Amino acid sequence: MTTLSEQQVQRDPRVLREAWETPATFALLPAKMIVDSKWIANGLALLPDELQQGHYVLLTSGTTGTPKLVVGRRERSEKLAAILHRQQESEPVEETLVLLPLSYSYAFVNQWLWAECFRRSLKLTPGFNNPSAMLDAFRKSRNAMICLVGVQVPLLTSYFQGQSFPGIIRVHFAGGRFPQEQLPALRELFPQATIFNNYGCAEALPRLTLRKADAAEESADIGTPLPGIELSTNEASELLFRSPYRAVGIVEAGQFHALPSAEWTQSGDLAQLTDRGSWRLLGRASEVFKRHGEKISLATLITTVTSTWAGQAVFYRERDARGEDGHVLVLAPAPAPGQLQAVLLSLRRNHGRAHWPLRIESVLALPLLANGKPDVQATAAREDKTLLWYQRI
Amino acid sequence: MENREKLKKLVEDVFLLQPGEFRFDLRREEVETWDSFGVVSLAVGIQEVFGHHLTPAEAGGIKSIGDVIDILSTKGFNFDH
Repeated sequence: MTTLSEQQVQRDPRVLREAWETPATFALLPAKMIVDSKWIANGLALLPDELQQGHYVLLTSGTTGTPKLVVGRRERSEKLAAILHRQQESEPVEETLVLLPLSYSYAFVNQWLWAECFRRSLKLTPGFNNPSAMLDAFRKSRNAMICLVGVQVPLLTSYFQGQSFPGIIRVHFAGGRFPQEQLPALRELFPQATIFNNYGCAEALPRLTLRKADAAEESADIGTPLPGIELSTNEASELLFRSPYRAVGIVEAGQFHALPSAEWTQSGDLAQLTDRGSWRLLGRASEVFKRHGEKISLATLITTVTSTWAGQAVFYRERDARGEDGHVLVLAPAPAPGQLQAVLLSLRRNHGRAHWPLRIESVLALPLLANGKPDVQATAAREDKTLLWYQRI
Repeated sequence: MENREKLKKLVEDVFLLQPGEFRFDLRREEVETWDSFGVVSLAVGIQEVFGHHLTPAEAGGIKSIGDVIDILSTKGFNFDH
């Protein structure tokens, strides 16, 4: 099976088009891999014969850091790109600037495949690795679309404060919490843009719901399902989906798992249907836990923190000295004393002591996964974190 | 740092007090964050800052900042201006 690396595509994007137009299934792998080439080869060897043609494979680490290969059917993804074009009002968009790795399913479908299907210009950029090149691309953009993850907003606002880029007319967010409270800053940067909150997961390849930023006031509102997609929840509030566009299978922990179309699949989040028909996230299934008998939602806590803190923020899990589940907040960069106090007072105003982090730490910048999301495991393992505050418990 | 200032800083930190909220006559019922875990936190903080390990009876009997001062004063800490 053909495997392409992100670097190959960066050097010559035509190789990806050729692979897409060739019947044989191919894999697109990120520049920074969390597994070695043997892991990839063993995983690809597990694909059944019927998936050896007409499909593509992406490597994802998700937010948990557990690697898996996701297998998509090209025909399905092309249909999804067409749905996205309509729902995201992309007809006026002439070009898309790529700021995330193309091997990330969000950028792959929303940008590369969409550009191929609708014959729009795709402009690869080094992203935040080279802010001046990014600035240049923003300035030269014309009727452009960009796709971001929420954690990049503090970088955007710090690098490009006071500037505006009217050439960017669509700004998409996915892959994590939607930065609802940063909308005023985003509107200053992109005064002509319609901003969207996209929601999905790797198994959905990648989209499930969409909403315009203005259609709700809270970050957790992910809008309504795209046409053809069904959402539901089970008794534990776990969000389930059925989608005609989703992945056909995954390879995880040395095994291939088919994802039959008719089956409900867990998205990995907890959610509820709102009175107005949109869906509201309650947190990652793995990020809701009990502490001193109280249900802790790290997603809710992040919303509290970011209501007063404009920098990066992430929680990692840790047990306290008594063995009770807890969580540690990491801010980046280090807050000024007044900013730290504002975060602490916000925690006090909105949550009981059980919800307060065990510690608040800071680093200069959060380590990120290849897909731009905070690397929670790497953050927890960092030895250069500065202790800012701690609960004496 | 004087003992009064050390105690003020500790209490502000443990109960996440707002600026200006601390008083030396502050009582437990005035601070909603002065809950049972707050008591434990305060006791750990007193050990850290003043080196005095509160007995369970001492910790449980603290109803105000004045009570903390009373306990620490008997251990030789001076909280006079």
